[in-house]
Amino acid sequence: MKNIEFFRYLPGAAKAKSASGLKKLVNTLLKEHRVYGTVKRDGFPVYAEIADASELELFSTPTHLSAKQFLFPPRETLLRYDIRRHLHEAVIESERQAIIGLHPCDIHAIALMDEVWAYGRPDANYLSRREKTLIVGADCMPDEYCFCKSLGTMNVNDGFDIFLHKIKKGFLVRTASDKGEEIIAGLKLREAKPYEVKELEERERLREASFKARLDALPKDLPEVFASSNESTVWERIGSICTGCGSCNTVCPTCYCFDIKDEVKASLSEGERVRVWDGCTLEDFAKVAGGHDFRKTRAERLRHRFNRKFRYLTDRFGMPFCVGCGRCSRACLVKINITEVTNELIRESNKRRP
Amino acid sequence: MSLSVNQTKEGLESPYLPFPGVIERVTRVTEKERLFSIAPLNPSLLEYGPGQFYMVGLPGYGEAPISITSGPGETKEFELCIRAVGNVTNALHRLKRGDFVWLRGPFGTSFPVDEMRSKDVVFIAGGIGVVPMRSLIKTVLKDRQGFGRLTLIYGAKSPEEMLFSEEFDGWRGKGLEVLLTIDKPDTKWTGNVGVVTTLIPKVEVAEGRTIAVVIGPPVMYKFVILSLRDKLIRPEDVFVSLERRMKCGVGKCGHCQINGCYVCQEGPVFRLSDLKDLPEAL
Repeated sequence: MKNIEFFRYLPGAAKAKSASGLKKLVNTLLKEHRVYGTVKRDGFPVYAEIADASELELFSTPTHLSAKQFLFPPRETLLRYDIRRHLHEAVIESERQAIIGLHPCDIHAIALMDEVWAYGRPDANYLSRREKTLIVGADCMPDEYCFCKSLGTMNVNDGFDIFLHKIKKGFLVRTASDKGEEIIAGLKLREAKPYEVKELEERERLREASFKARLDALPKDLPEVFASSNESTVWERIGSICTGCGSCNTVCPTCYCFDIKDEVKASLSEGERVRVWDGCTLEDFAKVAGGHDFRKTRAERLRHRFNRKFRYLTDRFGMPFCVGCGRCSRACLVKINITEVTNELIRESNKRRP
Repeated sequence: MSLSVNQTKEGLESPYLPFPGVIERVTRVTEKERLFSIAPLNPSLLEYGPGQFYMVGLPGYGEAPISITSGPGETKEFELCIRAVGNVTNALHRLKRGDFVWLRGPFGTSFPVDEMRSKDVVFIAGGIGVVPMRSLIKTVLKDRQGFGRLTLIYGAKSPEEMLFSEEFDGWRGKGLEVLLTIDKPDTKWTGNVGVVTTLIPKVEVAEGRTIAVVIGPPVMYKFVILSLRDKLIRPEDVFVSLERRMKCGVGKCGHCQINGCYVCQEGPVFRLSDLKDLPEAL
């Protein structure tokens, strides 16, 4: 049953303290899933495995890494081989998992990843993991980097199983899948009271008014902005300060480039072919064995990354591949800011227009 | 005996599972290149077109994209001419007859042979670019009367680095004009000296019925394409094959991208006119 406008009330705070509704929910999920959720480590909100409900803490701003790590892990085995037996075995590993605490931007990002990995030759590793994943969303409040409002990813009506909206005393809960509904129905929650729904509406209005960062163009106009910005001096300027560290790729919830490499076991006859995250801003990304580098400069590599977010993949899939989470700007060591760069290109593009 | 196992419960197929081929022959071509004849245990791997490539792997070393150099449908084997330049290709050079290699593919687009029928075709190859060109030349020569004038312009650094030179007389005998050029001649070289573009003016071009195919190192394309424009060959009638780094072969890993285009899917063979909106291509 899908009833996105139907709210139920889950009592308790954003930390799963004893007897809180959140604790009940996590304990239910723990019965049949490996559970990952948001926690604070070294002062940063991050995702981690939740063995006990009390570890979970919901945050209003994005985690450092996104939840893509549980669907497209930083390292995963694709094959096992054994040279003595001339054997290659495909490895497709997945288990039932629940991820708790995804904000709307990250739920949109997963919807984009679903498109990518199913496109053309389907990627069984991602898709089997996705199939067994339950998503529990949580709402948020923008910081100075968030700009999902400019990309139409501020709200979600599907792509999750359960969604938790924080109100003063507890949560209002929505479900968008049979699985999610089944779990919530099991908690026997009461329907939300009209004043609670009103409180949520007020909070949503506050959220919408709280954005500081924004893009000065509509999502549909962004491909054209980037198509006409190939020769812009912006690329040289940000390329000259970029350190090529790849942080923007790593933290991005829609970056999915990867490397494939072999890891040999101590026996030397056995080993694994593994897939690891790669990044198009890293130095050797487009370099071939003969030594020719098809994207030699940091400026070219940054231009490629921005174009992938706002043009190349949009042309292919019909949606911007940036969800406005702001993680790349937060993580950048030299403060290259995705909204500032894009707005500068938008201004240049507007000037070029007759 | 099953050597490639898809062990998933749901019957999902991994696009990363390679299939075995047995090396039937290894021939030294030059100091850097060897020619491998490979018989795949799974015969469906032999269904390839000229211009396509395999991901060729060795456990412990990884995979590399390698162009097919034999003509399709010739035998129960196919040929790869491999230059030892990287980790995987150097390891492949140590293999002998009877050893296994692991294959995924064939991947990518083929040269549109049907479109070349009854036309004149100029094949322009530089260096190792002659490797995929040989697959196309063999395809075309198998049905020689189906095509007009055929010319190969092939340039190498030095006479020793010229690949397949022992096959040129056979190709000439079948009706392919072979024009050769060398960057650094030795004392015995009596032919043309200079880059491949020095030979293009010598080719007679029938306007509107000539197709050009260009494969070579990145630096070559720009100059060759300018010469072809002088010859009034339209960009619609020019085909190129482009090299890029590749990891997955299935349009996901991102390494082979030229702007928004995946070379492993939409290439490596491109019509020149289709590259006009891809500034990263040439």
